[in-house]
Amino acid sequence: MRTLKLRILRGSPTRRRYYQIFTVHLHDEANIIDGVAQVFGEQDHSLMFRHACHHASCGLCGARINGRERLMCITPIAEFPEGATVTLEPLRNLPWVGDLAVDVKPFLQKMDQMGLPYSRSDELAPGPEPGNRFEDCIECGLCMSACPVVSNLKYLGPAPLAALARVLEEPRDVDPTGACEIARGPHGVWRCHSAMECSEVCPSNVDPSRAIGWLRRRFITGK
Amino acid sequence: MWIWQAITGALLIILLGVHMVTQHFIAPEGLRYYEDVVAYLSNPGVFALETAMLIVVVAHALMGVRSIILDLSISEQTDTWLKRGLTVLGVLLVAYGVFMTWQVVR
Amino acid sequence: METQSTWQKIWTWIDLRGRREGGIGFILMRLTAIGLVVYLALHLTMISNLARGPEAWDSFIKLVKLPIFMVGDTLLIFGLVYHAINGIRVTVLGLGWGGDHQAALFWGAFVLSVLLTAVMVTAIVAIG
Repeated sequence: MRTLKLRILRGSPTRRRYYQIFTVHLHDEANIIDGVAQVFGEQDHSLMFRHACHHASCGLCGARINGRERLMCITPIAEFPEGATVTLEPLRNLPWVGDLAVDVKPFLQKMDQMGLPYSRSDELAPGPEPGNRFEDCIECGLCMSACPVVSNLKYLGPAPLAALARVLEEPRDVDPTGACEIARGPHGVWRCHSAMECSEVCPSNVDPSRAIGWLRRRFITGK
Repeated sequence: MWIWQAITGALLIILLGVHMVTQHFIAPEGLRYYEDVVAYLSNPGVFALETAMLIVVVAHALMGVRSIILDLSISEQTDTWLKRGLTVLGVLLVAYGVFMTWQVVR
Repeated sequence: METQSTWQKIWTWIDLRGRREGGIGFILMRLTAIGLVVYLALHLTMISNLARGPEAWDSFIKLVKLPIFMVGDTLLIFGLVYHAINGIRVTVLGLGWGGDHQAALFWGAFVLSVLLTAVMVTAIVAIG
């Protein structure tokens, strides 16, 4: 068993902001999400946070853990020494609902604009009969929070641009013309400043910075 | 604009490099004295080089300023005025620099 | 729902918490950019000293030879060199190349900037 102190940002846009410290006792194999769930279940039922699958597939539990964007469900508590204080804050650049919860609608609207079907035939799962598997991107929003440019809410951002790159690689039933026009525009691919934080925090091998570079080369060569 | 930032940046590495090396290490006494500066700037090649560098550096700087301000979610109307304002400022700065240099060497 | 104010946006640019090499590189790039724009404005103003004749120029040179200006010059040279070298790095990364090595490229750019600054400042001081 391990004891941690979770220092969680509390409050909302209409209520006072403050940090509240909760002490949790967890099995050594637990992840941060288990600590947050313990706080919610045993200490403070008013704590707001998003979670579902607890295995890095739904993308809901993204938060800033000691300042760094990560999924709480795959951040093992074993990374932190016994008795350490771990600061949990909501993702940046998305409207803050309260505590650890943010409104992801503006982000998902940008993803919709890029026209992304959710499975690709060129990412076939291995096996005797090839089957489609889901896109790498789990739409967790970690890259959108880590990107220093997305504080400009008009900028499309790493995940939508990476989504467009995938659509252009394999359009299927989607006409990418409209999305390309947006990406070529003043808040599209050219606003990236190559801080590379998006690719660093992505839990799912999307590598948005590489995708943005690929889009830029494609647009420069007129494709 | 990103492409022009990259192009002007690459040009600046060359032009500024030449500017720094010639002014500090090749020109007599590192251009400490007034007469040395006037003689240096009176060279037509140097005048052309300095003018070229001024145009490129002002373009790069003002495009950079616009890029930073764009990150503040300004409206399209504000961006239009920003582009116009920075263009006018750029032209004025280049004109000022060339005029002042001409005043020194004539 | 809360969205960010202008100051919160600016804070995002310079908030070092949780940033890795690329993010620190971005912050330094932005700070050196702003510093160099301010310097450019001052440098263009300096030309007016030249146009006022030898006495104005000589008294200006005396002023900038003061030790405090040497400290400023060192920061200026570092800012210039870092901005240029990291600018090459950002251009290459921005075209989708070298992403796997971006952290090493940042450290290379930073160390090279420090070394080149040391060499140039030493040379300038030696010349006098």
